[in-house]
Amino acid sequence: MVDQMTAKMRAAALIAAGMSAALLLAGCSGGTSSSAPTDAASGEPQKGGTVHMLQNADFSYLDPARGWDGGVNAFYRLLYRGLTMQAAGDADDPNAIVPDLAESLGEASDDGLTWTYTLKDDIAFDNGDPITSAEVKFGISRAWDPQIGIGSPYLKNVIDAPADYQGPYVSGEIPTIETPDDKTIVFHLKEPFPEFDNVLAQSNAVPFPLGTGGGDEFINDVIASGPYTLDSYTPGSTIKLVRNEYWDADTDDVRKAYPDAWQFDMGIDAATIEERMIAGQGGDVNAIAGKISGAALPRIQTPELQARAIKAPAFCTTYMSLNTTKAPFDDVRVRQAVNWALDRTTVQNASGGNQLADVATTIIPPAVNGHRDFDLYPATDEGGNAEEAQALLAEAGLGDGFEFTLDIRSQPAMQAQAEAVQESLEKVGITVKLNVIDTAIYYETIATPSKQNDAAITGWCPDWASSASTFIPPLFDGAMITEKGNQNLAQLNDPAVNARIAEVRAMTDVDEANAAWGDLDEQIMELAPIAPLVFENGIFLPGTNIAGYHPSTNMTDLTIIGLKDPSKG
Amino acid sequence: MTIPSTVIEVEATPGGDPVLAESLESRPAAGRKLLHGFLTDVPAMLSLGYIVLILLMAIFAPLIVLVSGWGPYEFDQTAIDPNMGAIPLGPFGGISAEHWFGVEPGSGRDIFARIAYGARVSMTVALSATFLTTILGVVFGLLAGYFGGWIDTAISRVMEFLMAFPALIFMIAILSALPSDNRIVLLVVVISLFGWPYLARIVRSQTLSLKEREFVESARASGASGAHIVFREILPNLTSTIVVMATLAVPGYIGTEAGLSFLGVGVVPPTPSWGQMIAAAAPWYAVDPMYFLIPGMFLFLLVLSFTTLGDRIRALIGSSEVRA
Repeated sequence: MVDQMTAKMRAAALIAAGMSAALLLAGCSGGTSSSAPTDAASGEPQKGGTVHMLQNADFSYLDPARGWDGGVNAFYRLLYRGLTMQAAGDADDPNAIVPDLAESLGEASDDGLTWTYTLKDDIAFDNGDPITSAEVKFGISRAWDPQIGIGSPYLKNVIDAPADYQGPYVSGEIPTIETPDDKTIVFHLKEPFPEFDNVLAQSNAVPFPLGTGGGDEFINDVIASGPYTLDSYTPGSTIKLVRNEYWDADTDDVRKAYPDAWQFDMGIDAATIEERMIAGQGGDVNAIAGKISGAALPRIQTPELQARAIKAPAFCTTYMSLNTTKAPFDDVRVRQAVNWALDRTTVQNASGGNQLADVATTIIPPAVNGHRDFDLYPATDEGGNAEEAQALLAEAGLGDGFEFTLDIRSQPAMQAQAEAVQESLEKVGITVKLNVIDTAIYYETIATPSKQNDAAITGWCPDWASSASTFIPPLFDGAMITEKGNQNLAQLNDPAVNARIAEVRAMTDVDEANAAWGDLDEQIMELAPIAPLVFENGIFLPGTNIAGYHPSTNMTDLTIIGLKDPSKG
Repeated sequence: MTIPSTVIEVEATPGGDPVLAESLESRPAAGRKLLHGFLTDVPAMLSLGYIVLILLMAIFAPLIVLVSGWGPYEFDQTAIDPNMGAIPLGPFGGISAEHWFGVEPGSGRDIFARIAYGARVSMTVALSATFLTTILGVVFGLLAGYFGGWIDTAISRVMEFLMAFPALIFMIAILSALPSDNRIVLLVVVISLFGWPYLARIVRSQTLSLKEREFVESARASGASGAHIVFREILPNLTSTIVVMATLAVPGYIGTEAGLSFLGVGVVPPTPSWGQMIAAAAPWYAVDPMYFLIPGMFLFLLVLSFTTLGDRIRALIGSSEVRA
C-alpha cells in the first residue's frame, strides 16, 4: 500500500508540472493521462475567439452575494473582482490567496482584530465608474441583507457588525467597516481570524456601485468589475459574456482574459455533453465541460483522446460518518473496527476505479494544504483487515457482529459505494442496512441529528484549500453540533479535539497551522468518528483548440483559458 | 415501462363471452379438447416453457448460485479492471466459465446470480399483484354487477377515479415518500391499488348480463341466497375471463415493477432487480453492451411470454367454443 502511494505521488508530480512540490497530489498509477496535461496546456493561448462551456445545470445566481458553490465561484471570477482572490490555476500553489483589487494582502493590527487594505489605481466598473473603498464597502455589506446575503457566510461570521444590521438597503451603511479615504478600507473583526484574506476572497466580497443591486436587480443583469461583462442571459439556456472595456489588464496579476467572449451553453443532458466532448467536432473544439464519468473512461483510451484528457486531483473527501452518540458507535473500538474492516479498494472501484478515485485514509485530501499522509488502519492484500477488526469487535463484546443502518442518497454512484461498504463489512459479521433517502431531502435529513441514523455516506469540500481550517473544524468541532444544519455528522464532542481546534485556528503562521491540522487529522482518526472512503478525482476532456486549461475539481480557473487558434470553430 | 392495463382491458373482452364460458363449463369434453389444443400450440408451449424456466430459476436461485459459484452480492475485484473505470475484464462484459453472464462494472458482481435473484423480485411482485388484483377485481366486480343500486354506483365511481388517476406519478411519489422497510410489499400494494378496477369493470359488465340469464332466474326462484347465486352460479361462468385477464395482467405488472425500479423507487439495493440492472447499465451501453442486453433480454422475453400465453389461451378458448 505504501509503495503504491509513493508511486502514485511520483506519477502525480509528473502530471502537475508547474505545481508546487509541497502540494501533494494523488494522481494515477496507470499512466492514462500522465503525459497529457503538458500537451493540452502547451500551445499558448492566443487573444480572441469565444470559449464555450457546456453544462447540464444553470448557475445558481449571477449575484455573487447569493451564489456559493464551486461551479458558480469559477464563473464569478470572470465577472467580479474582490480585494483578494485565489491564485491562478497554473500558479505554484493554486490554493494560495493573492491580492486582487488591493495592492497587497491585508495588514493586521497586533491584536488581529483590525485589517487594513489599500486599493490599486485605475480600477473601474463596466460602466466606467471608478471603484473606490466606498463601493467595496457597499458591495461587502450586501452580505448582511437577509434576502440577498444567502451566499458565503464568512463575511457575516467574521466581520464585526451591529447585531441588528440588515444590509445597506434596510439599515444603511455598515458602521464597522471604515473608509478613511478613497483607497483605504479598514475592517474590524469579532475576534482574531488569521485567515481573513481568505474571507475577502469569498465570492460575495466584491464591489458594486453605491445603491445598486437591491431586491432582484441582479437576478438577470449585473454590474461587472472583472474582465468580462454580461452580454445576454437566457435562464437555463445560455449566458454570453463580452469584454469589459474598462478592465485594465495592468491592474490584474491573475486574470489573463484571452478570449473576446465566453458562452455558457446550459441545460444539456450530461450524457450528451460527454458524447460531444469525446467527438470534439465543429465548434466543440473550443469547448470545455465538467468531469467525465467512469463509463466514458474506456472510450477515451485512444492516443488522440489521451492527449486531450487532463486529470485533476480531488479537493473533497467522500466519507462515512459514524454517529458517536448511538450504540454501538459510541464505542471507539467499534468505530475503529469498521475502519479496519473496510475494503476501500472495492469502494474505489465502485467509484470508477483507480483513475477516478484514490483510496482515502486521511480526512484532509492531498490537494488541500495541510494534508499529511498516514494510514492508521492499513489494509492487507485481501482488502481491509478482518483480523484486527474482529479482535476489536470481540473486545467490545460484539464478537458475533451487529447490524446498523446506513443513510444513503438515491443516486446510483452513491448506492454503488454503499453496496461496496456493505459487502466489505459483511465479512466481519457487520450487517449494513441501507436506508435510501430521496436526493432532495438527503442532506437536510442527515444534518438533523434527531433524524439521522447510525451512519451516513457523504462528502466534504473545503471553502478554501489554502489550509484545512474549513475542513476539520466544521466536521469535528463539538461546539458546531446544532439541531438543524449540523455538519458534525459523527457528533464528535471530544474535549481534546475541541481544544486543539481552537488552538490551531488561532495560529497566525499558515504553515505552522497546516502542519498542526495534519497532526490533528491523525489525532481525530484515532477516535475514528468517520471512515474516509475515497478521494474522487476528475478527468476532463477539453476541445482540441483549448489552451491554458488547468481544470480543478474544486474551482477551475476560467480566467487563464484561451484558444490556440481563435479563428477556428 | 408504464402500466399497459388499458390494453389488457380492451384485448380481454372477447375472451370472456359468458355464453361461450357457460357452454365450456357444461361440457367436460370441450375442456379436454381445449387442453389438447393448448398442448399442440407451439407459441403457447414455448411461452409456458420460458415462464416455467424463470419460475424455477427464481425458486431455486440459492441452489443455482451454489452451482455457478458466485452469490448475487459477492464482489469479484479480479474480474474488473480498476484502471479502466472498473469495466469487466474480457470480451462481452466479462463472460467466462467463471461468470456465465459476465460481471457488473464497478463491483464485479456476477450477473447470472443477479438475474436469478432478480427473477425472484419480478415474479414475486408480479404474481402477488396479479393475485391481489384478481381477488379485488372479482369481488368488487361481482358485488357491483349483481347487487347494482348504490353499491354499484359507489364501486363504479371509485373504479373510475382510480382509472383516471395518473397512477405512475402517484406510485413514484408514494414510494419515495414512504420508508423503504419492505419495498416488495409496498410495490405489490401500490400496483394492486391501481390495477384492480380493470378486471373489476369487466367482471361487473359480465355479471350484469349473467344475472338476467335463465339459470340465475331459476336458482333465485328455487330460493337460493344472494351469496349462493354469486359464488355458485355466476362466478364459475367467469372463470375463463378471469384466467385470460390474469395472464394478460402479469406482464403489465412485471413491466411496472421494472419501471419503478428503473426510476429508483423499486426494491432497496443491494437486492437485485431487473429494472434496476437496466437502469444501472444505461450509462455503460457504449463500453459494456452485454450488461444492458442480458437483463433487457430476460425482461423482454418474460413479458412477451406472458402476453403470448394470455393471447393464445384466449384464442384457444374462442376457437374451441366455436368448434363445439
